[in-house]
Amino acid sequence: MTERIAWEFLAACVGTVAFALLFQVPKKYYVLCGLIGGCGWVCYELLLPSCGAPVATFFANTAVVFLSRLCAVKQRCPVTVFLVSGIFPLVPGAGVYWTAYYIVTNELEQAGERGFLTLKIAVAIVLSILLVFELPQGLFRQLAGILPKRRGGTGA
Amino acid sequence: MKSEAQPEKRENREALDVASLAGDILLASGAEIFRVEETIFRIAQAYGVDSSNAFVLSSGIFLTAGSEREKDFASVRHIPLSAARLDRVTAVNQLSREIVEGRHTPQEAHRLLLEIQSMPPKPKLHQILASGIGSGCFCFLFGGDPVDSLVAFASGILLYLYLLLLVRGRLSKIATNITGGALVTLFGIFMYQCGLGHHLGEIIIGSIIPLVPGVAFTTAIRDIADEDYIAGAVRMLDALLVTFCIAMGVGLVITLWHQFIGGPLL
Repeated sequence: MTERIAWEFLAACVGTVAFALLFQVPKKYYVLCGLIGGCGWVCYELLLPSCGAPVATFFANTAVVFLSRLCAVKQRCPVTVFLVSGIFPLVPGAGVYWTAYYIVTNELEQAGERGFLTLKIAVAIVLSILLVFELPQGLFRQLAGILPKRRGGTGA
Repeated sequence: MKSEAQPEKRENREALDVASLAGDILLASGAEIFRVEETIFRIAQAYGVDSSNAFVLSSGIFLTAGSEREKDFASVRHIPLSAARLDRVTAVNQLSREIVEGRHTPQEAHRLLLEIQSMPPKPKLHQILASGIGSGCFCFLFGGDPVDSLVAFASGILLYLYLLLLVRGRLSKIATNITGGALVTLFGIFMYQCGLGHHLGEIIIGSIIPLVPGVAFTTAIRDIADEDYIAGAVRMLDALLVTFCIAMGVGLVITLWHQFIGGPLL
């Protein structure tokens, strides 16, 4: 089990870096993108058995968005760079495939079930993004140590 | 600020040209609307234009300036939806910081922006390999075994060979995604029938991942969260359409296979 998780972490990291390349992310951010993607996937895998796909996706993606914002502040670059690649392992590609598959093979009950699950996962992703982006930027600056408490004011 | 009236007017124009070009590059590279608006405003302000007013949609920028003190300026740019270029977003972001710090004249900034606009994409070979590696990794994540992952790797490579060498942006988005989805499904089924790979579903899921509109989806949500509803809705529609097209491509091949060759697939 632990071994499988370790392999999956590695696969998620490498996969995320591959997609970062496809989105033309600059080379120097590859490692961080990969780590964020890997962390997101491991959160998802660990939570999946106990709370089901939508809730697991929600928490995993919350972690991804949080880490992305933190890295963006730390590296002084747009959050999109980390966010879109880190989110990729959690995007419900499998859900879309199975929904399409059951629709064309005329197993409509299964298709409905899969379709709804996919929708729930998508909504979980939406909610987690909304949630983390409501947090104030100052919090991330403090966490990243860029703006020590008393200096304030200058803006970046 | 008002002391040098004559040169200031020309400067204003140049400053706003720079601001609007920066916005153009950002929007065309897949940045969020609020980032585009903020960058335009900051650059304009850094060059002393306080009256700038930008209205940004997902496909266009409308920028005006003008007040009692400042000369009128208007610019409309049409920007088609295109592929994500996060390298450009990062570069413009960095440049706009430097402009705000007062490190570039408008002329210099304009030249730097043109340089950013002509930054080459990653080499095709790297993109093709990345697509393969991404597909293989995701196939493994979704429950495929190593053999499945290898088939997905080949399939991902095939997909990007098709996209970069054959399609080269000449097909519409809809056609590209339907045929892309169909291609990888056909390849997956073919390999599966040849006895390579054990989980057809996982192979196909892995190999369609490079087509999935992750950037459009994420940016759409962020735009909607920022209350840029029109831009968010357009991008969300884009994402949904692409997803739907991929599913159609996959579905089409599976249906045809059932009809003409028959037999259970999984």
